[in-house]
Amino acid sequence: MAFDLTPLDLFDPSSYPTRRHEEWTYSDLSRALRDVPARAELTHLQAEAGDFGGFYWHCAGDGQLADLQAAVSKAVQGSGGRLYLDMSDFGEEGSVAGYQGEGRITLGAGEHLILLEDYSGALDYAASTVLHFDVAEGATLIRVVILDEPESAVSVRRSTVTTAPDSVFKQYVFATGAKFQRFETHVTHAGQGALVEMHGAYLLKDAAHFDYTTRVTHVEVDGATQQLIKGLVKDRATAVFQGRIYVEKGADGTDARMRHQALMLNDGAHVRAKPELEIYADDVQCAHGNTIGALDESALFFCQSRGMPEEVARALLMQAFVVPVAEQIEDEGLREMVLNWIEDKAGGFYAL
Amino acid sequence: MLNIENLTVSVDDKTILKGLNLNVPAGEVHAIMGPNGAGKSTLGYTLAGRPNYEVTQGAVDFNGEDLLEKDVHERAAAGLYLSFQYPLEIPGVPAMTFIRTALNAQRKLRGEEEMSAPEFLKTIRDVAKTLKIDMDMLKRPLNVGFSGGEKKRMEVLQMALLQPKFLILDETDSGLDIDALKVVSDGVNALRSDDRGMLVITHYQRLLDHIKPDRIHILVDGRIVHSGGPELALELEAHGYDRYVNEAA
Repeated sequence: MAFDLTPLDLFDPSSYPTRRHEEWTYSDLSRALRDVPARAELTHLQAEAGDFGGFYWHCAGDGQLADLQAAVSKAVQGSGGRLYLDMSDFGEEGSVAGYQGEGRITLGAGEHLILLEDYSGALDYAASTVLHFDVAEGATLIRVVILDEPESAVSVRRSTVTTAPDSVFKQYVFATGAKFQRFETHVTHAGQGALVEMHGAYLLKDAAHFDYTTRVTHVEVDGATQQLIKGLVKDRATAVFQGRIYVEKGADGTDARMRHQALMLNDGAHVRAKPELEIYADDVQCAHGNTIGALDESALFFCQSRGMPEEVARALLMQAFVVPVAEQIEDEGLREMVLNWIEDKAGGFYAL
Repeated sequence: MLNIENLTVSVDDKTILKGLNLNVPAGEVHAIMGPNGAGKSTLGYTLAGRPNYEVTQGAVDFNGEDLLEKDVHERAAAGLYLSFQYPLEIPGVPAMTFIRTALNAQRKLRGEEEMSAPEFLKTIRDVAKTLKIDMDMLKRPLNVGFSGGEKKRMEVLQMALLQPKFLILDETDSGLDIDALKVVSDGVNALRSDDRGMLVITHYQRLLDHIKPDRIHILVDGRIVHSGGPELALELEAHGYDRYVNEAA
């Protein structure tokens, strides 16, 4: 099963996928990127121990992703297995700067890494990044991604993941959308008994667009995939969830579950969900569920009747809808950080 | 304290309350009894301000203020508390967070200082103990996976912390076994005081053995058709609502 991993070159419009590509029907990159961005120069590079209690890699310019493995090795060996990848310092005043880069993270047998990726720039930019993850036997990679990009940003973040026997890959993506924001993860479940979790929560307002596309291929036996994606969509925002789980012939014992739940907070907001299961093995357990609804008015009244003004009640319930995603993060410090971030964003929906 | 005059209420264009009059003075507990569909829950929801419950006529005075003018949360801050027949589950919000948010929202609206986290914790711990509520339960999302009894105890816990001036208990006995009924009733009775009024909505006399009312009103087809003392409950238990339903028809 080949995924559509056609390379995307920000500086070559002929490489942009159009809506005629099945994988890009709901997310129109060509429209978002009418003008080819100017190639941005790398500004600076910094590596130090950061607040996250781990190794801090400040990457101002995606081109530097090529050196990522050096930071990973240092983090795994000397900084308690934590790496903070700061991708927030992009953009130039007054022009749309283009950043493009590719990096690789390889975890050796039995190694552990908690990776925090922070994409929260402030200026205009277009970015295309690709990260490859190779998780060796018995290794564990926890990946928390904050996609808090400016509303003018255009970004495509693609990653590939290859598992080995008994390895664990857990991904938590938290997004506020942008002019165009797409987060793709392509997983090859190549290790017997490997566990992959790919969760996410999105909080979209105004004209934000967020696309979470996940592709999982179970090649080996006894692999497990768990997905819980929850989101809120307000105003004219659009959420896209495309999740495909493909179980190859012979990948018996596969246990794959995918759930996507969205709340549409007003007319005019859009949610496009396309969950797919394609199964060619006999002995598998697979399930997917998809629900799209509105905020529970009874719950809202219940909160108000206890004294909460409507906007406080709404923010509380919206926050409550997405926090179960963050609550799965085992690392306490990271979990608290994400919960605070969600509280801040949900509050912002109603200008608290 | 609560004075309702000629209250007429429609839900989805159907008139449910048809000119209801009721006066509950401070310090008294009144019970509303009546058959299914009489409008008992509608009365509770209307007083609390539920959307879609349209007041087409009448007035409600609460401590000298026009209750119907107020938003839902303003009614709560003014001291009105509706205990739900089926308290809602709020996934993702720990019970403690929910209660503290509600309490501080009310205080803020009244111009009072918000309660600090340590002070709140101490207060809730004391109240939880009397209601036999485990502190671990308060860290769980409100009412999610709670039994009927636990949900009702959680309602009483909120009353005790929010200290409302007026309580409306909507079918508080439903879903309770005998032991839970006693714990919940004790909790409610502990809140009885000279400056607090209560309206107990119930189908059965059973609850009124535990929460003894000063007055009982019979609600049939959107109106109070008969009022009397506590003895009325026993009469209803023996003879049913038929007599009043026939009279109203």
